[in-house]
Amino acid sequence: MAAINLSKMNQEEVIQAVIDHGGAGITKCIQCNACASVCPVAKAGFPLFGRLLFRKLQTGHYEEIIEDASSWACQACNRCTEICPRDAKPFEIVFAFRRMQAGELAISTSAFTPLMSLHATGHAVYSETSQELREQVGLPPVPVTSIADEKAQKEIQTLLDNGPMGELGIF
Amino acid sequence: MEKCGIYLGCNIPFKAPDIEQSFNKVFPKLGVELVDLEGATCCPAWGTAPSFDIDTWLAISGRNINIAEEKDVDIMTGCNSCFGVMSEAKHMIDHDAAKRKKLNENLALIDRKFKGNSDVFHVSHVLYDRIGLEKIKESLKYTLKELKIAVQPGCHILWPTEVMEVKEKNSFFPTILKELCEVLEADVPHYSALNACCGMGAMRSTDQARSFGLFKTKLVNMKEEIDPDMIVTTCSSCYLQFDGAQKNLRESGEIDFEIPVFYYTQLLALCMGFDPKNVAAISATPRDQIIQKIQSEARLIKQEA
Repeated sequence: MAAINLSKMNQEEVIQAVIDHGGAGITKCIQCNACASVCPVAKAGFPLFGRLLFRKLQTGHYEEIIEDASSWACQACNRCTEICPRDAKPFEIVFAFRRMQAGELAISTSAFTPLMSLHATGHAVYSETSQELREQVGLPPVPVTSIADEKAQKEIQTLLDNGPMGELGIF
Repeated sequence: MEKCGIYLGCNIPFKAPDIEQSFNKVFPKLGVELVDLEGATCCPAWGTAPSFDIDTWLAISGRNINIAEEKDVDIMTGCNSCFGVMSEAKHMIDHDAAKRKKLNENLALIDRKFKGNSDVFHVSHVLYDRIGLEKIKESLKYTLKELKIAVQPGCHILWPTEVMEVKEKNSFFPTILKELCEVLEADVPHYSALNACCGMGAMRSTDQARSFGLFKTKLVNMKEEIDPDMIVTTCSSCYLQFDGAQKNLRESGEIDFEIPVFYYTQLLALCMGFDPKNVAAISATPRDQIIQKIQSEARLIKQEA
């Protein structure tokens, strides 16, 4: 994953980084804040969402928000994308920002366990007590997913290791 | 018999396998054969690959969809998050030639090739759109007359409508789950927080207190406006939040009531007469009383001779 040199980032570079990480709509945002009117992150009381986040990015103030965890509370619900009058796809900008944060390892600590589990078993969520629960309701102790399939686990590890996530050294 | 690839995800097989069993019971009874997707992985969850790199996300989703392609079936998923992640991935792959090229370069590393002939559906879409209300009605043994349901469709089945095969007429006033419950003859009144988020998922793992705050607002709105006998959802994440976090709120003294929660196919399986020991056996909020009430002699639907 290409490292971002914070000290040298100017406004254009921040906007370009958002676009490169999947948030092309950043240049369309006109600060109307319709996105925030339907956003669960806003309703739940997190500090950084909607037009404030997008304005910080548009004006190149990336460094001062890089550690903010609000983006990691985004539910990816896409209410914002559904109603944005400029078709800026705000969800994609939030996730582009998340990917920029992830590239700096400014990651919510809660993200690590599912990541490691995904790499090891193919499942972001897994618990051994599930075997008992499954048998209790009359199912085989393990499903036919990657959890009991070595070839499938190798495939998922190949896909993760050979991309930018592998370069971050988290697995 | 129509076939459908059953994509389990993570929460259903490992946290709520009674939901998995309810799929195994209701779909064959409704004429849909479930086809296993061997070796399927996590969709991948929003907080994993999609938060790091789009191409890795598309590779993992593309691999899952490819497993269905190789069996010549569409994908059906019971988890809204899996549905959202894979529907968005499929939409990107279908509409962006460069992304599709990169996807196939990645899949070549594991000897796979994305073809694009399997679509992604949600359990409620298959029930509503492909099976239909009439067939569901014919399969019932018990009626839910005079029982009141609060429905919780969840977020990822509603937005963004652009990427979905089956759409609500108005995604901010969804009716599919309401109609699926009404065909069981239950009352399904509107409540004003119907389309609000339950706070599960990324928000709960980032900040539990704020997640529970959002959840409580919605739960109390249901209670105050319609006082339901049960909450019914078609999202496994919403299910875990309504069932589990409700218990947390009771234990911390924030609420003083209890509303049983079902995933829709669990309720449907009970109405078809299946054994709750298989299809509705695991919950943090007790359901025994309402299950007993549902499967009672008085609720038997009289079969015409």
